[in-house]
Amino acid sequence: MGTAPERMTRVTLIDRLRERQLVVVTGKGGVGKTVLSAALAHGLAAAGARALLLELDPRESLHHLLDAPPSGGEVVEVRPRLFLHHLDPRIVLEGLVRERLPVPMLARKVVASPLFRQFADAAPGLKEMAVLGHALRLVGGKAKPAVDVIVLDAPATGHGVSLLAAPLLVAEVIVRGPVGDLAREVADFVADPRRCGTVIGTLAEELPVQEAVELIGMLRSRLDRAPEAVIVNAVYPVPPRQGTKAPPGTAAAVTLWRRRRRVNEREIARLAKAWPGPRIEIPLLPIDRGPDLVAEIAARLEAAPIPGQGRR
Amino acid sequence: MTRAVIDRPLLVVVGSGGVGKTTLAAALGLSAARAGKHTLVMTFDPSLRLKDALGVGEGARDREVAVRVDTPGRLEVSLLDARAAFDRLVVEYSPDADAARRILDNRFYQHLAGGLAGILEYMAVERLFEVTAARRYDRIVLDTPPTHQALDFLEAPDRVVGFLESGALGIALRPWFDERGRLRAGVGPVRRGIEELLDRVVGLDLLREIAEFFQAFAPLYEGFRRRAAEVRKLLRAPETLFLLVAGPGEERIPDTLFFARRLREQGHHLGPIVVNQTHSLLPVDSADPRLTGHMGEGLRLLAWLGERDARGLVELRGLLGRDQRLVDLPFLAEPPTDLRSLEALGRQFHERLAASAAG
Repeated sequence: MGTAPERMTRVTLIDRLRERQLVVVTGKGGVGKTVLSAALAHGLAAAGARALLLELDPRESLHHLLDAPPSGGEVVEVRPRLFLHHLDPRIVLEGLVRERLPVPMLARKVVASPLFRQFADAAPGLKEMAVLGHALRLVGGKAKPAVDVIVLDAPATGHGVSLLAAPLLVAEVIVRGPVGDLAREVADFVADPRRCGTVIGTLAEELPVQEAVELIGMLRSRLDRAPEAVIVNAVYPVPPRQGTKAPPGTAAAVTLWRRRRRVNEREIARLAKAWPGPRIEIPLLPIDRGPDLVAEIAARLEAAPIPGQGRR
Repeated sequence: MTRAVIDRPLLVVVGSGGVGKTTLAAALGLSAARAGKHTLVMTFDPSLRLKDALGVGEGARDREVAVRVDTPGRLEVSLLDARAAFDRLVVEYSPDADAARRILDNRFYQHLAGGLAGILEYMAVERLFEVTAARRYDRIVLDTPPTHQALDFLEAPDRVVGFLESGALGIALRPWFDERGRLRAGVGPVRRGIEELLDRVVGLDLLREIAEFFQAFAPLYEGFRRRAAEVRKLLRAPETLFLLVAGPGEERIPDTLFFARRLREQGHHLGPIVVNQTHSLLPVDSADPRLTGHMGEGLRLLAWLGERDARGLVELRGLLGRDQRLVDLPFLAEPPTDLRSLEALGRQFHERLAASAAG
């Protein structure tokens, strides 16, 4: 022990994610998932990967964070190697039906029927599977522009795991036919740890940590997977030592600072107990939500080493 | 005086995830009970700490339990669980045990119906119907699911009524398959041709199960439709007030305006908008270069948060106009962990509500 040469290369989360084709960013609503997704894509592009940021929220907002015009359903290059794509899952699903149904007239009829609309809106997993299928095609070298890695800002509704479990669910229910085939293909893609990874965003607060821990458990039990990392966003700085003199009128704020930090530390400890894997803490930053914040978080992600054995 | 502003039989608390809806709903429930109202708080997913504070556990899942608190009015809480409620409803409304079993065992129901989009929302609505129909409470505070599109919840009855009245259901209910599980379409080779094609596309087994599911469900439709229509009315009644909870800062304003506009467009009665988790302004400037060192850097951050939230409030007030009440609540170091701090939050809400009238 101790004689082995220090050959551990310093690996960052960005290095690790560069080896993937799809990175799903998930976590409770309100933890800054969209900003974290943008920062990850920004970091990946800066590291030389052709990175595509995929947005599903109907109220398109990612372009504000990247100082770019809205994607309007197209893939747009917002800066060198960084692409942005806003997707309507329903349109992707319709495209899929058109593409996969053997009879074009039948496909048109199906897509136009109210029953299909109702079903597509209501059935869990179908739209999610279509989105993942779309991502698979984008990184499969069959679509233009060619991209190396996709960062998916997963919807905040419910647990992000349902997105990843969707292809499995669909494959279990629809065992045959083109939809069943696609579901299996996408399920294999998602199940491959070399191709697809998950990043969980959280705040160091009770409910977000609770949800992150549940997510980790569900990833493990339903997909036999672990996240690449958990990013703890907006952590309060370490407070000054007790008794340090505060300027007049700021005592209450300093007390709030101390108590917030205590909550943060308690929750980070709870997270660490449930998740001993890579964890990156991003401090609460006095920067308005926008391109500067994205760049600053990206810089911190690029600088934070994560434990690991270098390349696998 | 100001209590009258929110003194309605049904208060619906809406807003994006992570803004403190559930905590506020519990605090308002407690203050109503304190004011002598027999109150029910219906909620989805409270934190462990809030459950501890209220002293309710799994026993409150899908039913009302009393909170042990010494108030003139009784306070009860229920935790909504969509899947359990749906299963219960199936059992309750099925003509017999066999019929219920057929639905519960159906693969389509198990895999799809349990996760059907909007089901969580719809089940809340079902429960709301039962509870209001029983008229056991003076005040119901309804917390809504933590979805980004929190208004899905409000549209659930419309969607259900729409679906039940659309032709889609008629198509699904047609007897597509005969007793031997063969497709009732065409004869001989034509039928086999269609069967083969459908089998290739999605699998005939699945279609059979979907058809079975819809038919097993048929006796329940009318009840669903009737109740959904009732709740649709209830959610638009003048006695029902919506409380929109928003996060602080300019970045949340588009969200807040979107929710407020949608609520009004849908014919709901919007009460005060609560801007929650607001940092207070400090007597120091975040840009002051004299703030250095550990203490200085931290104070600059806190001052910046206060400035950001104050800017957000001014901007939102300007955009909403004078007629819209805006209640700002301070960012708490820690969410309430006992009834006392929950009650303090309720008091603070009423104080800020009173102040909002003066402005």
